[in-house]
Amino acid sequence: MTSATDFDLVVIGGGPGGYVAAIRAAQLGLRTAVVEREHLGGICLNWGCIPTKALLRTSELYRQIKEAEAFGLRVDGVGFDFERLVRRSRDVAGKLARGVAYLMKKNKIAVFDATGRLEGPGRVALAGHDGTTLPSLTASHIIVATGARARSLPGLEPDGTRIWTYKEAMVPDRLPQSLLVIGSGAIGIEFASFYSALGAAVTVVEVQDRILPVEDEEISKLAHTAFVKQRLTIHTSATVEQLRDTETGVSARLRTADGNTTEMAVERVILAVGITGNVEGLGLEEQGVKIDRGHIVVDAWCRTGVPGLYAIGDVVGPPWLAHKAMHEGVLCVEKIAGAKAVHPLDPASVPGCTYCTPQIASLGLTERAAREAGYELKIGRYPYAANGKAIALGETDGLVKTIFDAKTGALLGAHMIGAEVTELIQGFAIGKTLETTEAELMATIFPHPTLSEMMHESVLDAFGRALHI
Amino acid sequence: MNVPMGHNGPRESSAEHVMDRIAEQILGNRQNGTGDAARLFASPLARRIAHERGIDLAALKGSGPHGRIVLADVERAAAQAQPATPRPAPETGGAPAQPEASVMEAAVMGELMHAPPSAPAPGLAQPMPDKQILALYEPGSYEIVPHDTMRRFIAERLTLAKQTIPHFYLNIECELDALLAARTRLNGMAPQDGPRAFKLSVNDFIIKAMAMALQTVPAANATWTEEGILRHRPSDIAVAVALEGGGLYTPVIRDAEVKSLSEISNEMRDLAGRARSKRLAPHEYQGGATSISNLGMYGIDSFDAVINPPHSSILAIGRAEKKPIVKDDAIKIATMMGATLSCDHRVIDGALGAELLAAFKAYLETP
Ligand SMILES: Cc1cc2nc3c(=O)[nH]c(=O)nc-3n(C[C@H](O)[C@H](O)[C@H](O)COP(=O)(O)OP(=O)(O)OC[C@H]3O[C@@H](n4cnc5c(N)ncnc54)[C@H](O)[C@@H]3O)c2cc1C
Repeated sequence: MTSATDFDLVVIGGGPGGYVAAIRAAQLGLRTAVVEREHLGGICLNWGCIPTKALLRTSELYRQIKEAEAFGLRVDGVGFDFERLVRRSRDVAGKLARGVAYLMKKNKIAVFDATGRLEGPGRVALAGHDGTTLPSLTASHIIVATGARARSLPGLEPDGTRIWTYKEAMVPDRLPQSLLVIGSGAIGIEFASFYSALGAAVTVVEVQDRILPVEDEEISKLAHTAFVKQRLTIHTSATVEQLRDTETGVSARLRTADGNTTEMAVERVILAVGITGNVEGLGLEEQGVKIDRGHIVVDAWCRTGVPGLYAIGDVVGPPWLAHKAMHEGVLCVEKIAGAKAVHPLDPASVPGCTYCTPQIASLGLTERAAREAGYELKIGRYPYAANGKAIALGETDGLVKTIFDAKTGALLGAHMIGAEVTELIQGFAIGKTLETTEAELMATIFPHPTLSEMMHESVLDAFGRALHI
Repeated sequence: MNVPMGHNGPRESSAEHVMDRIAEQILGNRQNGTGDAARLFASPLARRIAHERGIDLAALKGSGPHGRIVLADVERAAAQAQPATPRPAPETGGAPAQPEASVMEAAVMGELMHAPPSAPAPGLAQPMPDKQILALYEPGSYEIVPHDTMRRFIAERLTLAKQTIPHFYLNIECELDALLAARTRLNGMAPQDGPRAFKLSVNDFIIKAMAMALQTVPAANATWTEEGILRHRPSDIAVAVALEGGGLYTPVIRDAEVKSLSEISNEMRDLAGRARSKRLAPHEYQGGATSISNLGMYGIDSFDAVINPPHSSILAIGRAEKKPIVKDDAIKIATMMGATLSCDHRVIDGALGAELLAAFKAYLETP
């Protein structure tokens, strides 16, 4: 008996975690619904991954065009139309969000334009945009995929006009002269890179002792050097203690590593100090779901411990990445449907990418984490400066670093900085998923001349066999 | 016929060995007329580790896509190590092969594939299905704590132990006063800091006494396999370390018979610390022929412990307590501690177990 409100699976949240879970469920024959209160595609398509990549494409092209002469090109009158470049980013996001709506229809997934709340076992209450109550949905399985939002700290709250979160930073009306970015994770660094390329004076403040603190230390250092060369100002081991409105913008009180405080005047501030899960107003506690520091606690199969209730994506915690959300969506649904050979997500197989210039990409353990885990290591390094294709491209800054378990030859980690590394890392991800050892990587033929040859050479170097260095 | 890819590079020789074994398996299977199982899918890392540890890939069930054998399968097999089938270790000298692992796994998955020589007799009672259990309790009156890997592992291992090892138990009481005096004296002499500093615990003496007892009664320092009883030379002693929030590790003190008390003490402290933060490498908690489990600090008088396969015994230690005892026809107060030895009767007969426990008591009482 089918009814318009009874399903096998209801997904709350239509971001990359939620909509992918829904598609996989539909493929497996489950009657599936998605409840989305704002925008299909979630943060990723509307306010995250995709629109930022559109902006960064503009700033990257701009940077390259300004260097055109070195490539024998003459380009006169280089400039930009700020309103237009922002509009392009919105158009790109809009196009993809419509694409998700099409995918839902194609897979016969019911989409409810409403805010969902758990009402009891197997029941989801729906509230329309005007607050009206819509008929509740029932389902044997419910996945919470409500994502996350920017975290704010006491004294550092966004005001939406001068003190921005990523949302405002993505749709500015003009280019600020000066910008303070608080937090040097992927989001902070990408905005710093974008605004600085267009000519804003950008300062980055990071509380830890290095920028991009989740990356390998060597990569953090190289990134730091590259950014300083691009005239970014970076303060590490530093905190912003207070933000105050002034006539021209914001005054920030900065406590630097030496313990001194200074006041700093900037036009705009971007808060990028982390993410907190959207766990409120969902009725989670009432159902007995455990919440830890703003995120839902789940097991390896994304089960909350409450029968029939699951959670995936940003709302269950780091790494806050769209591809991790999608992967969890698939494995959670496959487990529900009783598919064979489903495996829990291996955090060491989730690549992380930052699309600043130079790009950064990594997978698996950092050198320090690998040492702390007690492995004996073999480490390979290969610099961009020694790669033919990199030299031809005029991209000679960068490094490919690989980390192996000396005992077994297992690839433990790969860390890269330089042009196009975000496209390269996948090679190592496949290798890692197939459980390659150094032997298969060495035996693989890499096309010449490509940047990917550096991956090969880095592996060879780890075992003392690099050919071109 | 597709032959799976081997290795090249620096490990050519071992790669050839793997290839030979794969070829053997393929040919062997063909002759047996089970050609459909001929091609063995396994990840390069799984192959390499299996080779190093002497695990027979053909006996494993792959959990990867299309039944591909992945590292986790090999590691599980290694952990469930119950060396039951004769299979000479390769020249690298790894542990003997453990084809039971695959059976264990198959059994866990609810489909007993084939019975190994030591397999439990068919008709073992099956556990109650979840549905039936859940039906007994009011929904909402409990919470479900999902199993983590460790919980599943403990469940599998100890069920295996109780189903395949014929346990029997021996109790003894040991007088600790001489030990406690020696401990005070030695700790008093210990350097306060620096690399030679130490602080002995009663448990360190227990480990040492068991190590010496195993050397005195070498027949009890043994492991059951179908091919024969492995008599071990060193006294490698596993010590159970409980983890906060449940679960336990059993790091192994190796060659404990030749180590000094202070060495044992410091090594134990390091291993226990890393066990609690889950930072032990597999080789640090695998192997050994016996274990020690001490629940004295919880005020337990005595208890019977489950043998941790492939061990042949486990020593369960209760609390030390002052008690009136009769000595030289007079009532005296002494500090007494209960110890219970669980033995695998396939390896250790009653008299042998008694000899081991008596030797342990003797070493403990005259430190
Ligand atoms: C500026 C920025 C750049 C980023 N860049 C990248 C990148 O390059 N690569 C990458 O991998 N990741 C990136 N991320 C992270 C990525 O966007 C997230 O990891 C991803 O969106 C998480 O997906 P999700 O499905 O868990 O949640 P979300 O995408 O947050 O989706 C959750 C959805 O649930 C809806 N919702 C919430 N509560 C309810 C409710 N009660 N009822 C109905 N609907 C509800 C929300 O409206 C939202 O649409 C970026 C993030 C930001 C902010």
